[in-house]
Amino acid sequence: MVRYQGGSVEAFQEIYLQLAPGVRRYLSHLAGRSEIADDLLQETFLQMHRSRAAYNPAYAVRPWLFGLARNVFLMNRRAARRFAIVHESRQDLPEFPVLPEADRLGSQDEIRKCLANLAPDQAEALLLHHEWGFSFEEIAGMLGISAAAARARASRAMADLRMALNTLQRARV
Amino acid sequence: MRDQPQKPPESLMRAIARDLRPVRPSPQPFHLALRMVPLALLVSSLILLAIGSRADSGKLGPLLTWGASSAQFALAIALVWIAAHESTPAGRLPRQIVYSVAAAASLVVVLVTLITFSTSSGNPILPVPPRINEILRVSPWIMGLACGIGSTVAGGILVLFFSCVFRNAIATRPSVAGALYGAGAGLAINAGWRIACPFSTPWHALGAHGAAIVATVILGARIGRALGNRRLQIGGTHS
Repeated sequence: MVRYQGGSVEAFQEIYLQLAPGVRRYLSHLAGRSEIADDLLQETFLQMHRSRAAYNPAYAVRPWLFGLARNVFLMNRRAARRFAIVHESRQDLPEFPVLPEADRLGSQDEIRKCLANLAPDQAEALLLHHEWGFSFEEIAGMLGISAAAARARASRAMADLRMALNTLQRARV
Repeated sequence: MRDQPQKPPESLMRAIARDLRPVRPSPQPFHLALRMVPLALLVSSLILLAIGSRADSGKLGPLLTWGASSAQFALAIALVWIAAHESTPAGRLPRQIVYSVAAAASLVVVLVTLITFSTSSGNPILPVPPRINEILRVSPWIMGLACGIGSTVAGGILVLFFSCVFRNAIATRPSVAGALYGAGAGLAINAGWRIACPFSTPWHALGAHGAAIVATVILGARIGRALGNRRLQIGGTHS
């Protein structure tokens, strides 16, 4: 990132290659619609470019960029007032991430369905930690909550997810 | 399900290539807040340089004059530090801290006002001709208006300076970030203004000086929102 701040286009491409896939999936999760994730991804990297002077090397690039992606999504939501549509369309997400921890408990479709039914703030903390590997301190910095609250949200979401998948399994039997 | 790395789209690369001038990395929030100190100190002490400290400062004692103002100034810088954190996508502080410091700042202003009034509530005298002092004694709202407008203007100057420093900020809640540095500006100005203004009555201190702080908070929030909207103009380039 420091090389990129120095004006290196190759450094930008490296950042994009490394981080764009994860950021895209995160945006896809936030928006609940993969068709606007590409637009939001492009907007995120455009904003990163415009705001590259606002980056401080003391912070890790990944949480900073994910935080920026979250800002872009929230501003987009405010601009488009699509909140209701976002939540209505969560049932049929083509690229909703599937947690490795939950993989044994049900089919991918079932896991996606259960994830979509979790409270959005809990699901976000769960995915940021288990899917994208952020520490609870990093999640706290991104979401404006304490690390303990981030841990509690993720843990509650995991418990709810397990319970929902178990219920589905019992219903199948 | 892992996505394969993809090359950036051509349109994005064209936009990047248009402006690749080197930029200086942003300082850490604490250093950013410290950079504001000299100008904040200068603007907040302008009134002291103009009319000097209040006549009853001896009666109030150093703790209630300089000590209370130093505490307010330190809180002002803390608010700017929190605003700098709020403006960093990965560096946000928990909401409880943000709201606690904002509440503490309001409480300090009210407490200092009440203690100052209980210690010295006598006749205020300004270094002006006796006839003007008499007019101000009969119509204290004139002084209220002067203090309100004066400290709002001084606070507004600081808010503008802060918003220049924060112009690259990418806050999730730009209005909150703006309100925080607006509150910082208002509090810093009040720290200097209260040592110069001889009126101790709560209605004056809270009604005029307090209103100026509220005005700078609103101004900061409006500027923060405007800057945020301008920066993240989503939907203009795609639908």
